Amino acid sequence: MQTLAILLLFSAFLLTRVNRLTSAVHILLVQSAMVAAVCAIEGTGSMHMLVAAILTVVIKAGLIPYALLRVVRQLRHEREVNPIIGPNASSVAAAAIIVMIYAIVDRTLPSVVSWDAVAASLALVFIGLMLIITRRQAILQIVGLITMENGLYLLGLSTTHGLPLIIELGIFFDVLVAVSVLVILTYRLKKSFQSTDTSILKKLKG
Amino acid sequence: MRDLICIALALPLAAGIITMFFKQKSAIKTVNIFFSLCTSSVLLWLISRIAIEGPFKSGWFYVDALSAILLLVVAILSLTATLFSASYMERELAEEKIKFSALKRYYALLQLFIFTMIGVLVVENLGLMWVGVEATTLASTLLVAFYFNRSALEAAWKYVMVCNVGILFALLGTILLYYTQVAAGSPEEDALSWTALQVISGQLDPMLVKLAFSFILIGYGTKAGIAPMHTWLPDAHSQAPSPISGLLSGALLSCALYAIIRNLVVLQAAVDSAFIHSALLVFGLLSVAIAVPFILIQHDLKRLLAYSSVEHMGIVTVGLGIGTHLALYGAILHILNHAVVKSLLFNLVGFISQQYGSKQIMRIRGLFSVMPTIGTMFMLAILAIVGTPPFSIFLSKFTIVMAAFEAGSPLLGLGLLLLLAGVFAGMLFYTTRMVFGVAPKRLVRMKIGISAMTAGILSIIWIVATGVYLPSGLEQLLDQAATIAMGGR
Repeated sequence: MQTLAILLLFSAFLLTRVNRLTSAVHILLVQSAMVAAVCAIEGTGSMHMLVAAILTVVIKAGLIPYALLRVVRQLRHEREVNPIIGPNASSVAAAAIIVMIYAIVDRTLPSVVSWDAVAASLALVFIGLMLIITRRQAILQIVGLITMENGLYLLGLSTTHGLPLIIELGIFFDVLVAVSVLVILTYRLKKSFQSTDTSILKKLKG
Repeated sequence: MRDLICIALALPLAAGIITMFFKQKSAIKTVNIFFSLCTSSVLLWLISRIAIEGPFKSGWFYVDALSAILLLVVAILSLTATLFSASYMERELAEEKIKFSALKRYYALLQLFIFTMIGVLVVENLGLMWVGVEATTLASTLLVAFYFNRSALEAAWKYVMVCNVGILFALLGTILLYYTQVAAGSPEEDALSWTALQVISGQLDPMLVKLAFSFILIGYGTKAGIAPMHTWLPDAHSQAPSPISGLLSGALLSCALYAIIRNLVVLQAAVDSAFIHSALLVFGLLSVAIAVPFILIQHDLKRLLAYSSVEHMGIVTVGLGIGTHLALYGAILHILNHAVVKSLLFNLVGFISQQYGSKQIMRIRGLFSVMPTIGTMFMLAILAIVGTPPFSIFLSKFTIVMAAFEAGSPLLGLGLLLLLAGVFAGMLFYTTRMVFGVAPKRLVRMKIGISAMTAGILSIIWIVATGVYLPSGLEQLLDQAATIAMGGR
């Protein structure tokens, strides 16, 4: 469990360093697979957890990376060239987020069972948020969004053994649809602007 | 009632699927109007049953007076939106702004959007409600991006990104709330059910509940267009096709507010309500204040209306923040009134911008002489939205301001009135310039379809009638809804 938490944090940390879109999607795939592993280990023997773990593998480590990789293949020359905060600074920021969250969780929730998992999941949420804010490539923003979602899923898992199954199914479905919508928009961005760098989206003001 | 709820959910879904199989545009139009008429009738029937029989719970479904008011909003708006869409889209097709395949996509997504909004309003679970609110974002994103031109794509990207991040924070808050519920020893089958949460609210850990409240308010507040999380709103509202802007502003923002109210009912019983109320007041006043300068200096007609939506969401939030029965009554009535008036305005602006070929306020002159009926309706609706009597919005604004004075915060009431005066000045200044004056030459006058005219006239009648006289059934529902929002039954 502890090893997995550390590996998850490491994956988020790596995401702050990449500027190639393919690598980012590959890291995301591994990260989602690890979330599924946590799910399977936490809930050995429980039907609910088994379903959730399988769905995580199929949707988050299967369909979503597949869809993203298909778009990325068409964006051959796209890469993160000019992030708002560079890789070095964002790695430091990610480290700061991790330390801060460990300190806060230590202070406020000392009695939670899977203490490491809670801290790791919150760190994933906020590192994902940082990626969305500081990256300009559409694909990297999507990766940040899924990272946030992975973090939240892990939080539910580690605090309460997951939300009720029907709600989780709904969330899985929403995530899948969200990614399809975002992929469609990314295609269109490439078609209309010849670029998926979202910093060109600044016409609407006032 | 369970059957009614299921039918109300099934009808828009069926309409969306059937639309995909038609090959004539007139058939698509007729089918969609027919199905929307059916959906609205079923919803109205459901609402009247709620009014007579009281709250109803079965499995995951739950409806009461509060959901009834919001269902009324969706019932009215989905019907007017389809009626207006018929004329609006006909014109877009005739001018070759869109292709036939786009028309199918439009109606299918519109029905899906209506389905998701009804879904939010009939579930009895904070988790499922979250799923529903997220689904509304996803269904409407492709409608915002409908024209797929550069500005529409920009608006849609900002919309989906900002709202998704916001809604994930709401999920974080919901998970925290669930954690406190489990910690309080609630069984798993009651998970996130608000009726169950209300019963044990005293045993929830207040510190964590406060934390959950902050995330939930930021999350759903983003969706409701409350400042400072409103940045997506003017872009999305101005770029979407006009009937969709009307639905976004009238129905979607209302559904997000509904989600906030449902959470509040649980949360304000668990912690001291002063904390929650002051947070709501700050966000509400900020929304009204931020909208004022953008309304005073504005060049785009649809953005003008969009900022007015931010202002109105602020007014409702202030009403929720005051927290007395009177204020909540005013706030819920205001949700209903704003929805009808604002969607009518957006729909009318759809025709105005088609007629003048522009949304720029500068380009629009002499509305009264170019399109007398639409111009008159537009003027009346603007007078209604800024809160002049005898229109319905005057009543609800007045109620909220009065509640502020009655609750012993005259400064709040005065501040709100001052800001509203600013909005009043800005809106009327631009409207008089558009409505009067000499029309530009060489305008080809366009004919407005009969369906749009019917919808427009019916909306105007509703606005005036409910401003003068609230039917006793509706008043009772509003009263019960306010009691529910206070934490009662």
